[in-house]
Amino acid sequence: MNKMMKTLVLTLVGLLLFGSAVMAEDATEIMKKSHLEYYYAGDDGVANVIMTITSKRGKERTKEFVMLRMDEEEGGKQYYYTYFQKPSDVARLTFMVHKNPDGNDSRWIYVPSVDLIKPISADDKNSSFVGSNFTYEDVSGRHWSEDTHKLLADSTIGDRPVYVIESTPVKPYKGFSKKLSYIDKENYLPLLERYYDKKGKLDRVFRADKIEDVDGITTMTARSMENVKKGGKTTIVFSGIKYNVGLTKDIFTERYLKNPPREFIK
Amino acid sequence: MSKGLTNFAIKHPWWVITATVVITAYFAFQFPRMKIDTDPENMLTADEPARVFDRETKENFQLHDFIAIGVIAEDNAFTVDLLNRIYRITAAIEDIDGVIVDDILAPSTVDDIKQGPGGSIVIEPLMGGEIQTQKEADYIFRRIQENPILRGKLASDDGKAIAIFVPIESKDQSSRIAGEMEQLTKKYGGNAKYHIAGLPVAEDSFGSQMFAQMAYAAPATFIIIFILLFVFFRNLKVIIAPMVVALMSVIWTMGLLIATGNTVHIMASMIPIFLIPIAVINSIYIISEFHGHYKKHQHKDAAIRHAISELFVPMLFVSSVAAIGFVALAITPIPPVRVFGLFIGFGTMVAWLLSLVLNPAIAILISPKTLRKFAEADDTKGILSRLLYSFRAFSKKYSGKIIGASMAVIVVSAVGLSMIVVNDNPVKWFKKSHPIRQADMAMNAHLAGTYMNYLVFSGEEDDDMKRPEVERYIEKFQKFLVRSEIVGAVTGLPDVIKKVRFEMFGADSSKLALPTNQDEIAQMLFIFEMSGGDPGDLFKFVTPEYDKANVWVQLKDGDNRAVSHVVDLANKYIAENPPPVGITAEWAGLPYINIVWQKLMVGGMREALLLAFVIVLVMMISLFRSFKWGVISMLPLTITVMAIYGFIGYIGKSYDMPVAVLSTLTLGLSVDFAIQFIQRLRTAYRRTGNFEQALHDNFEGVGRAIMRNVLVISIGFVPMLFSSLVPYITVGAFFLAIELVSGLVTMLLLPALAWTFHKSLFPPIEGAVATGHSLSRKEKRKAKREIRKQKKLRNDK
Repeated sequence: MNKMMKTLVLTLVGLLLFGSAVMAEDATEIMKKSHLEYYYAGDDGVANVIMTITSKRGKERTKEFVMLRMDEEEGGKQYYYTYFQKPSDVARLTFMVHKNPDGNDSRWIYVPSVDLIKPISADDKNSSFVGSNFTYEDVSGRHWSEDTHKLLADSTIGDRPVYVIESTPVKPYKGFSKKLSYIDKENYLPLLERYYDKKGKLDRVFRADKIEDVDGITTMTARSMENVKKGGKTTIVFSGIKYNVGLTKDIFTERYLKNPPREFIK
Repeated sequence: MSKGLTNFAIKHPWWVITATVVITAYFAFQFPRMKIDTDPENMLTADEPARVFDRETKENFQLHDFIAIGVIAEDNAFTVDLLNRIYRITAAIEDIDGVIVDDILAPSTVDDIKQGPGGSIVIEPLMGGEIQTQKEADYIFRRIQENPILRGKLASDDGKAIAIFVPIESKDQSSRIAGEMEQLTKKYGGNAKYHIAGLPVAEDSFGSQMFAQMAYAAPATFIIIFILLFVFFRNLKVIIAPMVVALMSVIWTMGLLIATGNTVHIMASMIPIFLIPIAVINSIYIISEFHGHYKKHQHKDAAIRHAISELFVPMLFVSSVAAIGFVALAITPIPPVRVFGLFIGFGTMVAWLLSLVLNPAIAILISPKTLRKFAEADDTKGILSRLLYSFRAFSKKYSGKIIGASMAVIVVSAVGLSMIVVNDNPVKWFKKSHPIRQADMAMNAHLAGTYMNYLVFSGEEDDDMKRPEVERYIEKFQKFLVRSEIVGAVTGLPDVIKKVRFEMFGADSSKLALPTNQDEIAQMLFIFEMSGGDPGDLFKFVTPEYDKANVWVQLKDGDNRAVSHVVDLANKYIAENPPPVGITAEWAGLPYINIVWQKLMVGGMREALLLAFVIVLVMMISLFRSFKWGVISMLPLTITVMAIYGFIGYIGKSYDMPVAVLSTLTLGLSVDFAIQFIQRLRTAYRRTGNFEQALHDNFEGVGRAIMRNVLVISIGFVPMLFSSLVPYITVGAFFLAIELVSGLVTMLLLPALAWTFHKSLFPPIEGAVATGHSLSRKEKRKAKREIRKQKKLRNDK
């Protein structure tokens, strides 16, 4: 299905439901829509990413990389390819993920200094993504079926009306005990997320810092994750985003880890 | 002034009593606002460089103070049953308030870097869940042994012990958290011994125990002193005064301390115990004097007036000297010691004032009928009198030998003093049998240690810690330092890099070495971050900017001496093997902080003691208007201080915080007898013009009071010897020693000196009447001859 059409239809449906005001949207449905809008925009995409990690004592360090993504199926399997450019001592290091919503992801890393490709087993999706305040799951998405969702009273973020949804993990989960998502009623992007730890204390806060229209797709081009409990913050800024560039599955194989596809990575 | 105060007290006893009770009530109402602070770190000012750096280090590397749980099994701790129990305990600990959940180190929380399926590398918890088979248990043990970051820390090499390290938000919660953890170990326990250790627990528990001990020791001391006073004076009403004075002095002092917003530190908590003897001693002199006079003349008013006029000057001097000894502590660079010195100085003066007004006020209210019995109380034929007689006779007969022996004591004590070992360890403030000490011993015997110091290497620029020569330097340093027996483990960034590299190359042991180029170091660390390793774990060894690296130096012994030894060892190595250009090293950690304040305290105390000594000497010379008497009056305190500290040197007891603080108390308490003895001896001599007569009277009068004091104070504090807190035992033993030694020196050496040097010490007084009723005729003649001789000598000149 064409992405634009889908967005349109969904928006229309959303507006209709919003207009009727009597029928509250099912919380799980909202989370599912949000997930698809946010993580599966377009059929594939390329972007330059600048990640700034600010430590508790206020010091910043940045990581720059190019990210390729390809969806095999909407809401299903996805491929990620990350090529690091900075810091310079990790330049040319590449990292690949085959995301499998039904089971464990597969990950590979290519280490240029020793010219070695190594599979990385990662059962723990809650672990930090390249040392930032984002977890792997924050980057590639947590499947909506892993939590139970409850719709709370509507609210606004800035001037945007949002759904407020409380999510609780079905199985006990290290990442959070409770999450509050503030989802834009119009574009279904999460504008704010609040993660609570086991003791019910606010742990991390996610914010959508900038939302733009890219190739007709409403895209979050800047986002941040703040670690409230421990201090520190990570912002991710995307630039040069292109959707539907025609990535093929073979790019996401070990062969390309050593030799990045030059047509997409300059 | 003395007359005014006394007259007022005699005329308006109820006024005095009401006023003091009202003031006492005011101060007592401050007590609920009391803030306790048992953190030895506060021995340093907040801006002390070592403390500032320690705080920065904790910030930079997200480090926290921790409590350690040791699980020690008979032969193997790595069984399915025990590991599962530890798993459950760890999970339950996570729910305790004030615990930093993410940083708990336990088999179920630490990450293991290892080979995963399909030649992959994986970082995941060592123990992901409860286990089923012994094989799994053995595997967990093996993984710990193969991981240089975990080995020795999480499990002992013999597999008998497992440790859980629980970081906490703040030290002042450690006693409570330790208590909750103890409940959990009892609940989920199993066939093993559980120990809870760590400096924060010791430090925080000390606070709560301190009060428990006070609740038992203070009343016990009060009761014993009360009984002893009753034995001496046989009148309950008369001896109420000393008890009230002591109680009120304590309440005023602590009340003011609290009202002025000061926290009650370990030091300040000792103020009551220090004040009680000071307060009681004053009253004993007054009552003794009152008793002596009343017995003879049966006139209440006159007896009170006589006692106060006799005692006003010596009491003022004794109290001001003791107060100055304490106030001199204000020059030390340690805030709690300053507070302690100033307030106990204040308390000393309060005790003086209250003794002067309350003793007369209470005495005047007692009916003559009651006093009759008091007057009958007679111990002139008791042990006390026999002792007094022996002292008098002995000091005369063996005056030369006593002087010689005293000099020998000084020399022998000086040798002992040179043997004093400066050492401290808050864990050792608890008796050996205390669970905290037991835990400390058991865990440090099996594991890498419960005392954690940090050595921070700082570079000039970001990424300096990725430089291969820097990593190689740190690696060499670690290898060097871990050879020390005190050091259980030295862990640093090189261990992480090597471990990742080793696993990266399929657990090839030839790759268990540092890379030679910076990119590879950076990429190995990147893999750690990429493969599920908690960046929080990594950044406990290095800052995220890689400009500072933190080497964990884990010690099995928290004695300041041991810690200093390791610090010196490391510093010497660094001086002899300078790190790569631009890299500097600095220490942090609780044990390190402890040695910093100890150094400051030892120096500060020495200066305070010397200062107090000089001031007291000057005061004595001016009090007696005689250089000779000034010097002589310093002998009891000098010998007492030297003998006690020399003894400490010989028996090898550590010169620790309490021992250091007690030096000024020793000075203050032991000068007391000398002032009383000499001042009253000279007054008597001025009255009689007869030195022998004066000395005789002095033994009967003040000598008796001194003996009573010796007995009351030394016996009164015996309950403290049974405390489970070592500093309290030390204080009790000190009171005993101070009283005995300074009492002996006063009663033996001072008369011996008087006998030997009486010609120059007691110049004849014109017009003095020698009553001499207690002297033999022979002695009288001799005295007269002396006077004539002196006159002749002067005339000759």
